[in-house]
Amino acid sequence: MYKLHLILKYLRKRRIAWVSLIAVMLCTTMVLVVISVMGGWLRMFRQSFHGLSGDVLVEADSLAGIPHYQEMIDKIQKLPEVEAAVPTIRTFGLINIANQLRKGVQVLGLPMDQIGKVNKFPESLHRQYQKYIDEGKKPPTPSFGLVPKVPYQLLAPNDKRALERPGMVVGVGVVGIHKDKNGKWVRPDWLYENWAKLTVVQVNPESAVLDLSKSQADTYYWIVDDSSTKVYQYDSQTVYVPFDILQRDLGMDQQQATNPNTGEKVTIPARTSDIQIKVKPGFDLVAVREKVGRIVDEVRKERNIGAYYPITVETWEESQKVWLGAIENEKSLVTFLFGLISIVAIFLIFCIFYMIVVEKTRDIGIIKSVGATSGGVAAIFLGYGTAIGIVGSGLGLLMGYLIVHNINYLHTELGRQLGIVIWNPEVYAFDIIPNTMNPIEVTVILSVAIVASILGALVPAIRAARMNPVESLRWE
Amino acid sequence: MAQTAQQTISPKTEAAIILRAKGLRKSFRMGDTRIEVLKSVDLTIRQGEFIAIEGRSGSGKSTLLHLLGALDEADSGSIEFDGRDISTLGSTARSHLRNTQFGFVFQFYHLLPELNVLENTLLGPMIEYSWLSFRSHRSELRKRAVALLVQLGLEHRLKHKPSQISGGERQRVAIARALMNSPRVLFADEPTGNLDADTGRQIMSVLERLHRESAQTIIMVTHDRSLARQADRTLILKEGKLDRPADSAAPASAATA
Repeated sequence: MYKLHLILKYLRKRRIAWVSLIAVMLCTTMVLVVISVMGGWLRMFRQSFHGLSGDVLVEADSLAGIPHYQEMIDKIQKLPEVEAAVPTIRTFGLINIANQLRKGVQVLGLPMDQIGKVNKFPESLHRQYQKYIDEGKKPPTPSFGLVPKVPYQLLAPNDKRALERPGMVVGVGVVGIHKDKNGKWVRPDWLYENWAKLTVVQVNPESAVLDLSKSQADTYYWIVDDSSTKVYQYDSQTVYVPFDILQRDLGMDQQQATNPNTGEKVTIPARTSDIQIKVKPGFDLVAVREKVGRIVDEVRKERNIGAYYPITVETWEESQKVWLGAIENEKSLVTFLFGLISIVAIFLIFCIFYMIVVEKTRDIGIIKSVGATSGGVAAIFLGYGTAIGIVGSGLGLLMGYLIVHNINYLHTELGRQLGIVIWNPEVYAFDIIPNTMNPIEVTVILSVAIVASILGALVPAIRAARMNPVESLRWE
Repeated sequence: MAQTAQQTISPKTEAAIILRAKGLRKSFRMGDTRIEVLKSVDLTIRQGEFIAIEGRSGSGKSTLLHLLGALDEADSGSIEFDGRDISTLGSTARSHLRNTQFGFVFQFYHLLPELNVLENTLLGPMIEYSWLSFRSHRSELRKRAVALLVQLGLEHRLKHKPSQISGGERQRVAIARALMNSPRVLFADEPTGNLDADTGRQIMSVLERLHRESAQTIIMVTHDRSLARQADRTLILKEGKLDRPADSAAPASAATA
């Protein structure tokens, strides 16, 4: 009984113990914030990247692409584990939006009606998804054929082919769409009433020479939608166009050619740069990757696809391993560094408890003279340490939660008031700082904080327990 | 543990022996030398006796009190409490003994500064009982503590901290704490040593009244001869040995054995 009573009294009355309590609180807060942000970053990274790619990817390692991809897709789709397989093309180009904005962009060619079968790209669309969700409506199947607000003829009266122009989806960052201070998206008025010219360069798989006069292709598009994937590198520099048009512009459609050595007419098959595969839930991605790999090898062998077309089959995690591995390493490193700082907190608790034990030497003698056992005295100080750990980490959790929950607001304010910008979206790939806490990580951090507090109090508690009551009573 | 007021009123030779020490030795290391404080002390105390151990400062009287009260261990010799050798008991058993059978009053009161008067008085039962059983006995324990404090004239100080009351009041709280678990033996180490003469007299009258009305066995050490004379029996500790006062010829051990 006296132990609990004394622990509570000491906790309330001994101001010096508050220092250790604050140390525990700050360490807990610090580690919680860092782990939550880093862990959240990693989770966001995984979710976003996974959201933008299929579970398994067949990737061309060169700009030449993957020939006979439709044959591969047909075979892959017959696998019982596979839900869908869709081709996409990646390349780079130059964009000119209504002569107002010119920049280099990453271009992704998608079969828009099918892409939703393999990844969550459609959910990033503003006009064809988010707007519907905001209005509580079911979004339609996305397409590039969205009718603009103003008839095309009015926008481009001299262009007879205006009606034939295909649609283009732009990453929000490409056209300067941004969030205001209240977190609402701000879109330029002219956005969906303008044309965009996309220039891409054809790459001949069998020639090392690039003849720009022949291999350049310009296509005019209408901007029909914008996409916010939350992945900075996509949103800031990617435009999305119909798969077949990009394929044609890149000369990746089926073509007839003449072999310069033999003069023989040959057919160059249609090509794509990636095949994104959606695996049915519950199947092991690595096993599916193996099967897909075998199909790709089979087609390569049958079709005698040579060394011009290096192809890799990977799971989505493997394809992002450079990024994911780096983030995981960074998270481990930061956790380790902050763990070291927490050890300092253990020493702080140790020193403060040691001081408290010295200061309380006579009280220990008094308690012992009234019949407390050595174990009882040790329990007081261990209980005291535990109480400090529980209260300190509890307060740390509260403070950590408040910081993590409001981290984007705090960061914005920090930037506005003091000009301090820590989270650079160009570096961290996301425009918002992760603000969620993982219950498992929180539990581990709190447990470690409490154990650390007990450890800090352990040696002083043992010292207190071993004190001779007579010597303690004589202590001055 | 409980001792009733109906027990022996005055020390009588036929009363049961409550505490007996034989050949007690205790030395302390002071740097390179060893100082022998107690050199074979023999002592017998009967139930209900009020004994004063007198001695000069540094004569070892407090050390003797600590040994008798199981606060410290002797180098050699034995101490019997109620016919049982307590010098060989382990630390936990000695703690239990201090909690349930002995009570201590010290010169410097030794109250816990964070606890109020009532809580300081309840320290013994708090240590004795578990949290649950303390809660179930709480009202009767509180009643007893308040009764003791009222008896000692502290009814208006229950919620005060030790720092908010006078020296005499602190010592009375210490006496209440010592009596809380109805000790068989009350040890008082210079109980008036830190008080002015008047307050000291008040404290002595409290001890006397306890002895007279409740037949409380009291062992008090003091350097003050006039205080020592108020006890039933006075023993003098001199050069590490117990002796009768100068007006008595026989040695204490012989007289009480």
